[in-house]
Amino acid sequence: MLEINNVHKSFGKNQILKGVDLNVEKGDIIVILGPSGSGKTTLLRCINFLERAEEGTINFDEIHTSFKGASKQDISRIRKRTGFVFQNYNLFANKTALQNVTEGLIVGRKIPKDEAIRRGKQALDKVGLSDRYDYYPSQLSGGQQQRVGIARAIAAEPDVILFDEPTSALDPELVGEVLGVMKSLAKEGATMIVVTHEMGFAQDVANEVVFMDGGVIVEKGTPSELFSRPKDERTIQFLKRIIREDFDYSI
Amino acid sequence: MRPFHPQLILTALSKTLPYLWVTIAVMIATVVIGSLIGLLLTRANIRRRLIGRSIAQIYIYVTRCIPSIVLLFIVYYGLPELLLAFGININNASRAVFVITTFSILFSANMAEVFRSAYEAIDPGQREAALCAGLSEWQTFHRILLPQCTVIALPNFTNALVNLMKEGSLAYTIGLLDIMGKGQVMIGQNNGSFALETYLALAIVYWCMTLLIEKVFATLEKHLTRGQKILSDAP
Ligand SMILES: Nc1ncnc2c1ncn2[C@@H]1O[C@H](COP(=O)(O)OP(=O)(O)O)[C@@H](O)[C@H]1O
Ligand SMILES: [Mg+2]
Repeated sequence: MLEINNVHKSFGKNQILKGVDLNVEKGDIIVILGPSGSGKTTLLRCINFLERAEEGTINFDEIHTSFKGASKQDISRIRKRTGFVFQNYNLFANKTALQNVTEGLIVGRKIPKDEAIRRGKQALDKVGLSDRYDYYPSQLSGGQQQRVGIARAIAAEPDVILFDEPTSALDPELVGEVLGVMKSLAKEGATMIVVTHEMGFAQDVANEVVFMDGGVIVEKGTPSELFSRPKDERTIQFLKRIIREDFDYSI
Repeated sequence: MRPFHPQLILTALSKTLPYLWVTIAVMIATVVIGSLIGLLLTRANIRRRLIGRSIAQIYIYVTRCIPSIVLLFIVYYGLPELLLAFGININNASRAVFVITTFSILFSANMAEVFRSAYEAIDPGQREAALCAGLSEWQTFHRILLPQCTVIALPNFTNALVNLMKEGSLAYTIGLLDIMGKGQVMIGQNNGSFALETYLALAIVYWCMTLLIEKVFATLEKHLTRGQKILSDAP
């Protein structure tokens, strides 16, 4: 369904992505792991053109284009088929929770208002915020804000949802509610690419785990392959560190 | 020195007030034109295209360094010459044209800074989120960013407006017959007598205007921020 090949992206002289390939089929839950600075965020941002990769191609169903040569129309179509959940939520501060969700439907996709509101409420219900439609972001907790962020991303029923460390800005006691929502989405068959350090989530719901380091994909496989039998030394070191942190944390 | 006659303040008020509309009309025209130019400058600044941005920055820098009265005279003497070179004769144009031109230039540079800092106060993540939600750049700007910028810019905009009103009183120096101009004419006709009463009358008018402007914009700000906090506390 979504295939990206040989993505290269530099910021000035710093090459951040050095030829990344990713193949996503419908219903896939792909978790991307990797140390900070390895280019995970940049990869997600290249997929929906928040950053323009200078090399590589993207095939999204019938859309086939290079990143560099993508037209405005290609970009708009790809964006409308993807949802993006940000680390810092990035909710519209001047809109209520419901308006945050319906804005893209009404203004971006020209869906009639009544229908958009119905779908917006449905999306908020799904993330457990039926009682917060008319709250402004500043009146919501971090976990609630992120769930609005997820509702906004799923309301248009995108083909694939990109999550960039959706829980890492949250207080620990709020992480669970967001992961819970993501798990239920996964169960319903959503296609997701998730950058996260939540190993439990990866273990439970991912059908593929990808380990990135230094702008390349070092290793990938099923969760059990990657977690129980990592091959590359960098993967082993990384997993050791993460698991130790998790362990320290639980104490 | 003549004795001070407080009742003459009222006389001065009644004679100058009919010219208040000139002051207000010039201000409105300046604010509209100046804000539009300010928007263009801000846009050039934000888009980071080298040429547009350099021009905008030079414009802002140069105009912010000129005292208004100096620019007023440069425009008053220079603009007709400049336009004559293009075959347009404005030697008979109203003084208001020169005043509006001058203060629009100054106001636009102020606005460019006010708008830019308002724009920069908004997390760029909101723009990205709007694009991801399927909005176009334009929709993102006017549905998400502009309403928030407006609220953030409002206090600075109000200040700039009050300053514009005060600096605008310099327009009498090129002969604009606004409320200040009328006051000057009256003092001249009285050979300099009752100057104090006249200036006090003018001070009262400017004071009331300032109060009015601040009241109106404070109300507007309240109205725009009903129920929401634009700069939400970071989680
Ligand atoms: N807009 C940018 N300009 C310059 N450098 C950037 C930009 N965005 C990211 N980088 C750099 O790219 C590298 C990878 O960043 P990122 O993709 O955010 O990594 P990750 O999400 O894996 O932590 C970092 O070193 C970061 O400093
Ligand atoms: Mg990141």
